[in-house]
Amino acid sequence: ITARIKRTLPVRGPQAPTLSELMRWYCLNTNTHGCRRIVVSRGRLRRFIWILLTLSAVGLILWQCAELLLNYYSASVSVTVQFQKLPFPAVTICNINPYKYSSMKDYLSELDKETKKALETFYGFSEGKSKVRRSVDERNSTGSEFFKQIPLLKFEDFSRTVIDLHSGQKRKIEGSVFHKDSSIVNSGDSNDIIGFQLCDANNSSDCALYTFSSGVNAIQEWYKLHYMNIMAQIPLETKEKASYSADDLILTCFFDGLSCDKRHFTRFHHPLHGNCYTFNSGENGTILSTSTGGSEYGLQVVLYIDEADYNPFLVTSTGAKIIVHDQNEYPFIEDIGTEIETAAATSIGMHFTRSRKLSKPYSDCTETGADIPVENLYNKSYSLQICLHSCFQKAMVDSCGCAQYAQPLPPGAEYCNYKKNPNWMYCYYRLHEKFVKEQLGCQQICKDACSFKEWALTTSIAQWPSTVSEDWMLRVLSWDKGQKLNKKLNKTDLANLMVFYKDLNERFISENPANTLVILLSNFGGQLGLWMSCSVVCVIEIVEVFLIDSLSIVMRRQWQKAKKWWNDRKRERLGKAPQAGDLERQGHDNPVCIDEDLPTFNTALRLPLPQDSPLPRTPPPNYSTLRLETAFTEQLPDTLEAGQH
Amino acid sequence: LIEFYDSFKDMFEFFCKNTTIHGTIRLVCSDSNRMKTAFWTLLFLASFGMLYWQFALMFSQYWAYPVVLTMSMHSEPKMFPAITICNLDPYRFGLVSEHLAQLDRMAEESIAFLYGINTSASFFHANEKNIYNIKDLPSIRNLSRSSFKLSQNYSLLRMPDHSNRSGKKHFNVGFKLCNATGGNCFYKTYSSGMDAILEWYRFHYMNIMSQLPVIINISDHEEQIEDMVYSCQYDGEPCRPSDYVHFHHPVFGSCYTFNNKGTDPFWTATKPGIPYGLSLILRAEQKDHIPLLSTVAGVKVMIHNHNQTPFLEHEGFDIRPGIATTIGIQQDEVNRLGGNYGKCTTNGDDVNVKLLYNNSYTLQACLHSCFQHIMVQKCGCGYYYYPLPAGAEYCDYNKQPAWGHCFYQLYNRLRNHHLNCFDQCPKPCRESQYKVFAGTAKWPSAKSQDWVRQALRHQNGYNSTSNRLDIAKVTIFYQQLNYKSVNESPLLSENLLLSSMGSQWSLWFGSSVLSVVEMFELLIDTLVLSLLFCYQRFRSKKT
Repeated sequence: ITARIKRTLPVRGPQAPTLSELMRWYCLNTNTHGCRRIVVSRGRLRRFIWILLTLSAVGLILWQCAELLLNYYSASVSVTVQFQKLPFPAVTICNINPYKYSSMKDYLSELDKETKKALETFYGFSEGKSKVRRSVDERNSTGSEFFKQIPLLKFEDFSRTVIDLHSGQKRKIEGSVFHKDSSIVNSGDSNDIIGFQLCDANNSSDCALYTFSSGVNAIQEWYKLHYMNIMAQIPLETKEKASYSADDLILTCFFDGLSCDKRHFTRFHHPLHGNCYTFNSGENGTILSTSTGGSEYGLQVVLYIDEADYNPFLVTSTGAKIIVHDQNEYPFIEDIGTEIETAAATSIGMHFTRSRKLSKPYSDCTETGADIPVENLYNKSYSLQICLHSCFQKAMVDSCGCAQYAQPLPPGAEYCNYKKNPNWMYCYYRLHEKFVKEQLGCQQICKDACSFKEWALTTSIAQWPSTVSEDWMLRVLSWDKGQKLNKKLNKTDLANLMVFYKDLNERFISENPANTLVILLSNFGGQLGLWMSCSVVCVIEIVEVFLIDSLSIVMRRQWQKAKKWWNDRKRERLGKAPQAGDLERQGHDNPVCIDEDLPTFNTALRLPLPQDSPLPRTPPPNYSTLRLETAFTEQLPDTLEAGQH
Repeated sequence: LIEFYDSFKDMFEFFCKNTTIHGTIRLVCSDSNRMKTAFWTLLFLASFGMLYWQFALMFSQYWAYPVVLTMSMHSEPKMFPAITICNLDPYRFGLVSEHLAQLDRMAEESIAFLYGINTSASFFHANEKNIYNIKDLPSIRNLSRSSFKLSQNYSLLRMPDHSNRSGKKHFNVGFKLCNATGGNCFYKTYSSGMDAILEWYRFHYMNIMSQLPVIINISDHEEQIEDMVYSCQYDGEPCRPSDYVHFHHPVFGSCYTFNNKGTDPFWTATKPGIPYGLSLILRAEQKDHIPLLSTVAGVKVMIHNHNQTPFLEHEGFDIRPGIATTIGIQQDEVNRLGGNYGKCTTNGDDVNVKLLYNNSYTLQACLHSCFQHIMVQKCGCGYYYYPLPAGAEYCDYNKQPAWGHCFYQLYNRLRNHHLNCFDQCPKPCRESQYKVFAGTAKWPSAKSQDWVRQALRHQNGYNSTSNRLDIAKVTIFYQQLNYKSVNESPLLSENLLLSSMGSQWSLWFGSSVLSVVEMFELLIDTLVLSLLFCYQRFRSKKT
């Protein structure tokens, strides 16, 4: 078989027997510019200059092409503006106060009593005590135990002497003090700092002390801590009942010039904000859209905010919170919700922008979130916020054994409360601190979403209702509200909200790759052509000549050397005449009999000519690039000669 | 070293054989067939024309330095911006308090004169702060104003300096400004009397304030941050004493800048959302020390970059008392290409306006400095609201009686872009802007206000017992941590220009830079050869 292959595909070695011959042959026959000049130029200086020029051209090509390659992964951005019928986003509305204070009184009375006591001891503040008098004692035993564990403390200077709320005695406390730098605000009378202390239940010497720059913050934070414990024990149905119903919250509703009612709103229970109502949540499959832009055609609601039923310690501001979001997005009311004032008309104009980023390798973002090792606890589409919250919740369940109240439950876990997990608060605060300092690794795991929608909002506020219209409007609204509320509505209990598209333009910002493969290749071609008039074929040529051929020449040399050495040794051993060596040399110079070097397929295919024999060593014939054919015909006799020889 | 050809013929032969330029060779080296030569000449010229036309197009495009705007979203963690809050309550310095009282009385009189109302005395209540001993300064003798009633037409009391004056049919209120000789006067008039009085008051106020020493030691004043900020929390932690810088603004009163340096890791923004932002409880009292200077009650807030002088008059944000305001911010970044692509400056070193603010370069700071320099040059004194260049002093009409005239005219020219300040001040190459979106809610709520007030009263020395709304809550937070940055980048980089040149060249000629060098070589050879021949002939003739 080998014999046949040799016959049908006659493989000859490289074009020249030695490296310098090969180079010469290459330079005379190549298509790239410059190289030929090196050979044909007359005079050494001239030749040297041409070598320099050619090499610098090669260098330039390499440099420019490297730069092109480096710039390959850049993205350009296109912005398109479309005029079309835009789907209206989902609008979630919550009362700032989560639950009706009157209906939560049974659960919170103990805590409120404690808070009032704290206020009285620390600030000498006393309210009309009649309200609290009804003291429900049946819960007393369980509740106050825990309040006593984590009482409010008053610090005297920073000597760590504190006055306990309950005992009223001074005692020394130990433990690391958080926020221990004196806050800027009360450097004057530092004996008034209020805070609380959280201790590890298993190891009571390990404590963390929380102080606040203002008593207002301290009391609110302390209240919230206990409040979350209490709320975690109450079943969801009770909480939903204690919160506001759609009828309670929404008095009137208008959308796109038509009346709407509570059926257009979907209820969802937010752990911190109670019952929230989402307009146009897309739950029943249809997503509303507005026919035109402008405040007339948006959503227009009047909200009833029952200020009298507010929890005085949990929330200190009055109004509603709203958030505009996509139907697939989870509304993070507590993080980015916008507040709305009572006794005012708030109009919110929207501008819709959709953005799309290119994912890898252009930037580090995720399309669906499926490639991120954090389980999405919210059954909504992925966002960075969701990932961070889920990641934190997972860490919380792992290290504290229970889930934080403000975020959804992972499967198999339950919310923390101090009956079951007396240690959780300390654990939570420690964990949260770690999270903020990015020690949990959540910020590294979670990536941005590649595409997102954004509604840019602008608000304006006007007084509402006006003094002249106030009278009739309040009367009508009171009548609408029905009989169950037999008092006349107060204007400070109402808020008017308008959410509308300012125009129906959709801005779509998308990233596109700035370079495609075609552009890259054509730029390469340009560079190669500019400096040396080279092409892919000439690149192949270079590879062939400089890599394959020269390698084979070198290898052949080595082979011959080895063979010669072997023969010499044999000869020495046998003591034979040295003629064989002469023959040998002739043999290996003669290309026809070289079979030892492995012929590659490339050389087999591409080398039509047998190489020059060393004997003629003819000066280069007068080739012309224009007449390649003649060059071949001219060259052929030589080589044939060599072959015959 | 260099072999030369024996003759021109030899040279050309060599060239024809070895050149790599495609068209030329056919032209020069083809046989003496006329038809062929003409054809090749035509072809050669055509492709030559095409090539240079394309080159011209490319170069003209390149030298126009076109830029493309690329927008990119970034989401790396970053610092919270610097926040400046001001209480809109400038001091009455003891040194000038008597003059200010005088001015108040004067304003009262002129209001009474203009509108016939006797404003209640409480409106201009005498102040209570006398901090320094009042030095006996030359009283403002010629500070008398003349005004006239609006309902009647002409009752102009002309005084050397200023006079209120109305227009013909409607009541334009204003005052008159003259240059030093009195030959050139104009009336600064306003359609509303309120604007006129405010402007008039401001003008006098500047004159009075110019008597103060340039450097006022504010720390001597007992005003402390506790009097204004009752609570400060960032990311759930109390702010620290080192976190703020205090300065006094002549109009906006005492101001505090939080996170001015932007280097403290305490202020890195880790998460977007209200709980992780800066939350302040502020006193927003409506007790004004100087009632006619600003008529707004509340607190001014400005969000700006680190190391930047806050120009509150340009982009401040007002906070109402009795309201909790949540301000969501979003950052946009603009990066400009400097150099050939447009005029911008990276740090202001290459701008030939000396910055008077010792903060980083902004366009606003440059414009103000530029204006102040021109003002000092033209009017001989500096505008009070801007910092002084070395060796200058603030304007005072006792010393420079004509400065008002000079100033307003100069200011008009600035506004109409007749001063070349706008040319001298390039935009900074790197700018970030904060987009602000605010929501408001009533605070404290009716149910909680009792205990909130009590707690503040007890702890923070909040001493108001009235039911007036005089506290406010502000929360400033990042809405999203990812920010858009708009970058200019060159449309045609040198790299791409060369590539496209190469493509054109290959397309029309199939030649390269090396071929051009070949042509050069030919040219030089021709020259040398002809010189040689000349020399030979010369020598042979001689011999």
